[in-house]
Amino acid sequence: MKAVHYVNQFFAGLGGEDKAETPPTRLDGAVGPGRGLVAEGVEIVATLACGDDYFAENEEDALAALFGHLDEIAPDVLIAGPAFGSGRYGYACGTLAAAAADRGIPAVAAMHPENPGVDTAGKAYVIPTAVNVAGMRDALPRLARLAAALAEGRELAGPDEEGYLPRGFRRNYFAGRTGAERAIDLLLGKLGGETRTEVGGGLDRVDPPAAVPELSATLVALVTEAGCVPQGNPDRLPSVRAQGWLRYDLNGEQTLAPARYKSVHGGFDVTLANEDPNRLVPLDTARELEREGRIGRLHEAFYTTTGNGTPVVTATRFGREIAGELREAGVGAVLLSGT
Amino acid sequence: MAWELASFSADLLPDDIGVEGAEVEIVRPGEPVRVTHVLDAVEPRIRPDGRAAFPTEGKAGEGRTHRLDRVVVLSCLDFPAEERPLHEQESIVDLAGPGAAYAPFAEETCVVVTFRPDERGNEQLEAFARMKTLHTAQSLALATLDAEPSDVETFDLPPVKGKPRIAALIQLSDLGPLYYQFVYGQPAGQAGLPRAIDPAELLDGAVTSGEYHWAAMRNPTIFFQRNALVRSLYREHGARLDFAGLVLMRGYEQSADDKQRAAEAAAMRAQELGADGVIITTDAGGNSHTDVMLTCRACEQAGIRATVVLAEETDPESTRPILTDWVPEADSIVSTGNVEELVEEWTPERVLGGDTLLDGTPAAAAGPIPVRNYLGAANQMGQLSLGARSE
Repeated sequence: MKAVHYVNQFFAGLGGEDKAETPPTRLDGAVGPGRGLVAEGVEIVATLACGDDYFAENEEDALAALFGHLDEIAPDVLIAGPAFGSGRYGYACGTLAAAAADRGIPAVAAMHPENPGVDTAGKAYVIPTAVNVAGMRDALPRLARLAAALAEGRELAGPDEEGYLPRGFRRNYFAGRTGAERAIDLLLGKLGGETRTEVGGGLDRVDPPAAVPELSATLVALVTEAGCVPQGNPDRLPSVRAQGWLRYDLNGEQTLAPARYKSVHGGFDVTLANEDPNRLVPLDTARELEREGRIGRLHEAFYTTTGNGTPVVTATRFGREIAGELREAGVGAVLLSGT
Repeated sequence: MAWELASFSADLLPDDIGVEGAEVEIVRPGEPVRVTHVLDAVEPRIRPDGRAAFPTEGKAGEGRTHRLDRVVVLSCLDFPAEERPLHEQESIVDLAGPGAAYAPFAEETCVVVTFRPDERGNEQLEAFARMKTLHTAQSLALATLDAEPSDVETFDLPPVKGKPRIAALIQLSDLGPLYYQFVYGQPAGQAGLPRAIDPAELLDGAVTSGEYHWAAMRNPTIFFQRNALVRSLYREHGARLDFAGLVLMRGYEQSADDKQRAAEAAAMRAQELGADGVIITTDAGGNSHTDVMLTCRACEQAGIRATVVLAEETDPESTRPILTDWVPEADSIVSTGNVEELVEEWTPERVLGGDTLLDGTPAAAAGPIPVRNYLGAANQMGQLSLGARSE
């Protein structure tokens, strides 16, 4: 096992707050808490140290310098911290570990669960520690254990078994008991005053944008996730799990005639919608508003996809891409019809 | 009145099985077979009193029913019409390899019935295949009528005092043709739901599947016949709880008003059963998850504690929010897995049902396949043990 250990100026023995501006430095072997990791069987080939302020203020340069060393050493695992409750140190540990994990270097940091650095750790693992350095003795064996597992490339069990903080990636496992049995346990627990859940709630809430200041002078576009396409579905938009979106020119059409358009959406009964596709993409009404001068002009194309079975991250990408094109075209407002 | 379910050995399965309009293959446990285009899975059942095993009239869950143990009929159909408005989803059962862990069928004798496409439209063909499959499942159990059962289970609910009263609220899809669950042969939307039924009715063929949405999130008929939730509640009756009964409710109500009304009506049925707590199950995804969340809220507002069972559809490489819909009252959720995760590839020696997957890849060399394409893998009645957790 070849490990690189990252610490801040203080734990590297370079000095306290007065040395927080220290740029990245490479030290041979283990230093400070790294010696504790060595005692737990971790083979530390080098220690990388950086002042907390330097990292915070020169993140890009700091990462470039640190990866200069990491690329040269090519370790089996990067260990960062423990940073305990220190926010700046935790941020540096989390950010460096995340960047390492993204580059394919297995990485684990250690810090207090409420350290803001936890949120920066991305795909890297974080071992929870006490809030201050008194937790060092307790943290090091756990950190060493996960580091060894990562260095060996062993397949990890869940966060409970391995002792790391859940990163938020939803992964399947066989629970050993049916969902039905687990549901009965959860419900009886809840009735007994102990509420637990296997899935956290929460949704992406999108704040409504500010009102369009001058709609009568604004270029307006029609966008839908209702799966509205020309008859025959020439571009084969899927009825679920669309992998992209489509743009169709309106060619001056005044209404979406059922003979020319339909919905291929697989998430609702499209019978009624297909009798009048304007109820999917309200072109008839929008044209009326255009004639009345209540909107400046209608954009010459409408945008469509099937918003059915689409992971949030994919839907977000569609939104960004469509919005980018619309902005280029000078569109100032969008009428987005959902189903 | 108690209902009896008598189990008989799989040895009673006839060797020579013919089904009109279909090819039939028997697959023994352990054979390296992949089955594609799977419509439904049904356990062979018959009633010695001559009533239908999948009744469209009268009441199921009374008297005695025979079952063939560890036998499953898998019906397959590659819809012929070019247009597949509501049938874009591949549905696979792997009887060996890594995919076999995602369904309970690999250790059973599978009677694979592959229907031949013909000139009929999708809906007519589906209706034919569905009726033939149920009929086949019944006739396969014929030999049990003159045999001795290996086991007889009795289902009844004697009065219990001093335990929390728990009801199950089971959602059934009705999203139009090819997306129906049937209650006594009626599409869920026309079956007077929400309505309370005797839990034994569900286990005895009152509910059958004709719903071909995402394979992993379907409720094939066999999952009603062997329903793990209802069976667990029977088992716990008198021990940790008092099984108050079962409410069937519709998923995919088509307007916001209808969704809210249906949610409140389901909560009212639970209240009429005297439930202290309910387990709410889900059928398919997206739209139907909103029905479940509103039902959860309506129950909580009626003073009934609720636990929800559902699957996740989330990018395994993302940490973004994971549920299609959610209400704060849904603070107790069982996850039956993330259907977006991939299942490792393997090479089956034989493919039944159809050689080419709907996306055009050869079924024998399809590479890793997402969980969502495995029939029932993330079943949202809690039938199986798959779950998802944050890692």
